[in-house]
Amino acid sequence: MKLVIDEKRCKGCNLCTMVCPYKIYKPGKKPNERGIVVPELDRPERCPNCRLQALYGRTLCGMCQMICPDQAISWVDEKPGEKKKVAIEF
Amino acid sequence: MTYTDWLRADRLPHIYCAGCGNGTVINCTLNAVVQAGLKKEETVFVSGIGCSSRAPGYIVTDSLHTTHGRALAFATGIKMANPALSVIVFTGDGDLAAIGGNHFIHACRRNIDLTVVCMNNMIYGMTGGQGSPTTPRMALSTTTPYGSAEPAFDLCELAIAAGANYVSRWTSYHVKELTRAILAGLRTPGLSFIEAMVQCPTNFGRRNRYRQPLDQVEYFKAHGMLVEKVRRMQEEGREIPPDTIVLGELARRNRPAMGVKP
Repeated sequence: MKLVIDEKRCKGCNLCTMVCPYKIYKPGKKPNERGIVVPELDRPERCPNCRLQALYGRTLCGMCQMICPDQAISWVDEKPGEKKKVAIEF
Repeated sequence: MTYTDWLRADRLPHIYCAGCGNGTVINCTLNAVVQAGLKKEETVFVSGIGCSSRAPGYIVTDSLHTTHGRALAFATGIKMANPALSVIVFTGDGDLAAIGGNHFIHACRRNIDLTVVCMNNMIYGMTGGQGSPTTPRMALSTTTPYGSAEPAFDLCELAIAAGANYVSRWTSYHVKELTRAILAGLRTPGLSFIEAMVQCPTNFGRRNRYRQPLDQVEYFKAHGMLVEKVRRMQEEGREIPPDTIVLGELARRNRPAMGVKP
C-alpha cells in the first residue's frame, strides 16, 4: 500500500502535519494549480499502515485519514511491478 | 467496507472552509456507522440549518435537510413512523441550543432512540460569525464586539438534566475516542447525545487568536480534561482551571426509551 494525498480535495489546512506520529507530512512550499499548498510527504514508506495493513488485515493508526476534514488522504495498492521503497529506522 | 463508500464522491470536495472540523466529525460518524454494521437502506441522516447541517448532503444514504432548529422534531417523526430505521441527527450549536432548544430538551425527555451528533463550533459560522449560546465568556464575535458577557450553555449538562440515556463530549482532535463514543451512542437504546467540539478558523478563530486551524486544535488538546480526572480533582478539593473542556462519557443510564428497534 502507498499513501496518497488527493490534490483535488485537499484544502491545505495542515492538520495532518500535527497528528502524524512519524511526522511524515511536512507543510508544503509551492501552491499547486488551484492555489493550494498541499502538504509534502517525507519518506511515506515509514507509515505503519503502508507496511502492515495487508499483514494485519485492518487499518493501523489511520489518524491522518480520520482527522482530514476533506477526505483527501487514502491508501492505494501499488500497480503490479511498481517499485517499492523500504525504510528501516533504528 | 470502509467509510469512504458512504460518501458521495461526486459531491466532494465539500463546501466547508479549509481546516473546518466538521469534515472530521463526518469521518468519525461514518466510521462508527460502518463499525456498527448499519445498512445504507436502513439509515437516515437528518439535519437542520447551518454549516454542520450540510453534512448529510455528502452522505450516500437517505437524508432530510430540514428547517432551522427542527431537525429533532423531524427525526422524531421518522422514528415514530418507522422504528426499524436508524436515525442519526447532525446538528450545530446554534441549531440545537438556540433555535431548537425546546425540541432538544423534549427529545431528551421523551428519550427517543436517536443518535444526536452536535458539532459545537461556539459561533454561528454560516451567517457571518454572530455569537451563539455556546460562545464562551469574553470571546469576540460580530454581535459581541467587546467580548461575550454571558456565560455559555453547557449542552451536555442540559442533556443529562433533561434525561438523555447516553451523553459524551469529545473534540475534533480526539478522533478515535469520538468514533468510539458515536458507536456507543448507536448501540445505546434511547437518545444518545454526542457533543463534538470543532474548530472554526474562519469565523471563531479569526477573531479569537486562533487564526490557523492548528491553533484551535492545539487548544483543544491542551485544555481537554477527562471527566474521571475532573471528578477526582473535585474530590481532592483541587481547583479546576476555568477554561477546561470536560471530555469523556458523562452519562450512561437505562431510562425507558421510545421508538426502540423492534
